[in-house]
Amino acid sequence: MSIATTANAPPQAFPSALSAVLRPLKGLRIVLPFAMVVAIWWAIKWHWALDDRVLASPAQVAIAALQLGNRGILADYAATSLRMMGIAALISALIGVPLGFAIGANRVVARALEGTLRFLQGISGVAWLPLAIIWFGFSDTTKLTVVIYTLVVPIIVNTIVGVRAIPENYVLALQSLGASRLRIMWDVYLPGALPSIVVGLRLGMGYGWRALIAAEMLVRRGGLGDLIFGARTFSQIDRIMVGMVLIGTLYIIVDRLLVQPIETMTLARWGVLRK
Amino acid sequence: MSGAVDKIEVAGFRHFFQSESGPVQATSIIDLRIQAGEFVTLVGPSGCGKTTLLKAIAGFIKPSEGRIFCNGRPVTGPGRDRGVVFQELAILPWRTVRRNIGHGLDIAGTKPAERDRIVARLIDLVGLRGFEDRYPHELSGGMRQRVAVARTWAADPDVILMDEPFAAVDAMTRLTLQEELARLCATTNKTVFFITHGVEEAVFLGDRVLVMTRRPGRIKAEIAVPRRTPGGRDWESFTADPEMQAICEQVLRLVREERGATLVAGDGASVVPAA
Amino acid sequence: MTDTPRTPARARLGRLVWRLLPFSPILIFGAAWSIYWNVAHPPLAVMPSIANVVGAVIELAQSGSLLTDILASLWRLGLGALLGIAMGVAAGFVTGLNKPLATFLNPLLVFFNAISGIVWLPLMIGWVGIGTGLAVFLIWNSVFFIVFQNTVLGVQLVPEVLEQSVRTLGAGRWETIRSVTFPGALPYILNGVRSGLGFGWRALIAAELVGATTGLGQMIFRAADFSRTDIIVAGCLIIGMIAMAMDRWLLLPIERRTVQRWGMVARSEGGRPG
Repeated sequence: MSIATTANAPPQAFPSALSAVLRPLKGLRIVLPFAMVVAIWWAIKWHWALDDRVLASPAQVAIAALQLGNRGILADYAATSLRMMGIAALISALIGVPLGFAIGANRVVARALEGTLRFLQGISGVAWLPLAIIWFGFSDTTKLTVVIYTLVVPIIVNTIVGVRAIPENYVLALQSLGASRLRIMWDVYLPGALPSIVVGLRLGMGYGWRALIAAEMLVRRGGLGDLIFGARTFSQIDRIMVGMVLIGTLYIIVDRLLVQPIETMTLARWGVLRK
Repeated sequence: MSGAVDKIEVAGFRHFFQSESGPVQATSIIDLRIQAGEFVTLVGPSGCGKTTLLKAIAGFIKPSEGRIFCNGRPVTGPGRDRGVVFQELAILPWRTVRRNIGHGLDIAGTKPAERDRIVARLIDLVGLRGFEDRYPHELSGGMRQRVAVARTWAADPDVILMDEPFAAVDAMTRLTLQEELARLCATTNKTVFFITHGVEEAVFLGDRVLVMTRRPGRIKAEIAVPRRTPGGRDWESFTADPEMQAICEQVLRLVREERGATLVAGDGASVVPAA
Repeated sequence: MTDTPRTPARARLGRLVWRLLPFSPILIFGAAWSIYWNVAHPPLAVMPSIANVVGAVIELAQSGSLLTDILASLWRLGLGALLGIAMGVAAGFVTGLNKPLATFLNPLLVFFNAISGIVWLPLMIGWVGIGTGLAVFLIWNSVFFIVFQNTVLGVQLVPEVLEQSVRTLGAGRWETIRSVTFPGALPYILNGVRSGLGFGWRALIAAELVGATTGLGQMIFRAADFSRTDIIVAGCLIIGMIAMAMDRWLLLPIERRTVQRWGMVARSEGGRPG
């Protein structure tokens, strides 16, 4: 019965016409919207006859991408950024998850640390960049410090949320089976909080990726932020746009192919509802 | 109101819905007339198309075949002449009890003083005095359904359509709600079309009980329930009345023919679905 | 903290400890910092003392430049966020109520959300130059896409039965949107606004580091040129306090009076870009 009702949502004239047009193009669902953006972009470029130092055409950007790609420069810059991100994510998880467990499971620790945590959350990692540069110079350490700082807080916060959302009965049930604290941690808290931890990781990656780009703009020494900021100096708009597209694409790839599958897997597997 | 025009007339109704493997027939041809002041109940096995029929009368879905009239006018969409009480919780979480019950009157532009008078009377009738300013999440399941009933009554529609409104509340509360509904109808003399899969519920509430076949459903039998004394609509006198029990058995037999091995038993509304 | 019965004096002490507990990290950190500073005596160009930082705040406040910078930052944030929220909610509603449109736009939303904020900085410097316009654009950009995405999600997740039930009460399309769809989507919208402001605030500081002549980010950046670590630390602390104040006095009260009052919880952490 319920199938009938959902299949018969209130009729709307315009959408059904649009969907009729779109239905045969199902395979193009992802390409089509971008094709539209490129078309508009091209139209703007032509109509106002914009200088290349103001706006590059899609073709120029494509050529620049090929050139940079062929010489391996693009891969080099991208690899630098991705490596940084990977290291930062790993370290942040190693620090953030245990800390989150401690705060989530213990009232006293929570009282002591939560306020400070919230305060630190408000200071964006990038704000520490000048101080980090003074202390660690224009180095990878500087970038890592800033990115880890940015990443770790959302992971801690979401771990706390995850631990607190675990029904007390789960713990009580295992205790009555004679489980040790470690056992309960491993069998209840970790799997129970995992979906929320992954949510924190995704959010942290969103902040962290941007912090990394910003840090690379200031610190230079490789990375996609360096690429687009350096290209600015010579008004190489085509290069900037290549970098922007790559930054977006890489982020989506990491998010969709790495982080989201873990999230869906844990959610689907255990049927845990995210609160 | 003259008896000439039926409150609800369903003529040659038949419905299909789209599934991945093509159209599926939800109901066979159904004809139905409901007169003013009647309480008509419809029993049938799960998936027989009874909700489809109700949604069509409500105007949420367009019939594949046939016509539906309310007060002689064709139904083209949902409207305030046909109020619906849903099975799921359908009152708004962001409105208090008072504001939920008065919502239909607000929409109709009723003057505040008049609205408050009607709302206060219904709050008394459904026994929610003292809870006027609570939000739905602060109420029990039975109280929420009382709010939903009162909201529909307050809007004063010509016909009230109820889709297994008490299916989600516990057995004891259900008995009380059924008695309250019977009393409410006796006081206000409304036309009601009530869907259920509980045989005793159908006989207890209805002036007329319709039995549907399994999908694609059609109405296979109609049993008139003789009028009882207005004060005697309670479960104690109902179960003590041999005539009522005979009718229940008759309806149960008709329903069980459709359900094969399925049991319909107990308080009249709990159903053990077929394996 | 212990379950054994306690004397009134011990109970009072316990309450006092409990009350002071949130400040313990600051106290411990401050003590460690002071001890290190007094032992090692690092130059100001490397590390300030607590007194230096307090002095810097007083100095900046007295010269009036602190107020100027704070107001510049808040003005940019306010303008950018307001534009972003208004446009994001409006666009989100139009899209959320229109399923094929939502399906069509979704890949674009995911992509532009992924490059929202600071990534636009090099391109935008060329287009609008350094200053308020740049910062406002970056904030708008950060806020808009998150609010947009969350509004679409929220609108789509409003239970259909709520809309149907109100339509049987005689509500038209507009009334249904006003009394059902908007409050129903509000938890998601607020989630979007909250993380949008988080992203916007970060984008603002980053943008001001290189793309402005005033503002808190620029204050820190300028200080770095003169190796004034006291001003840098003071600036960071002020940034944190402003963010906390916004959360506590702006977002939390709104949430308390709406979503929490109605017993609703948004089922997403909101800020997930993508």
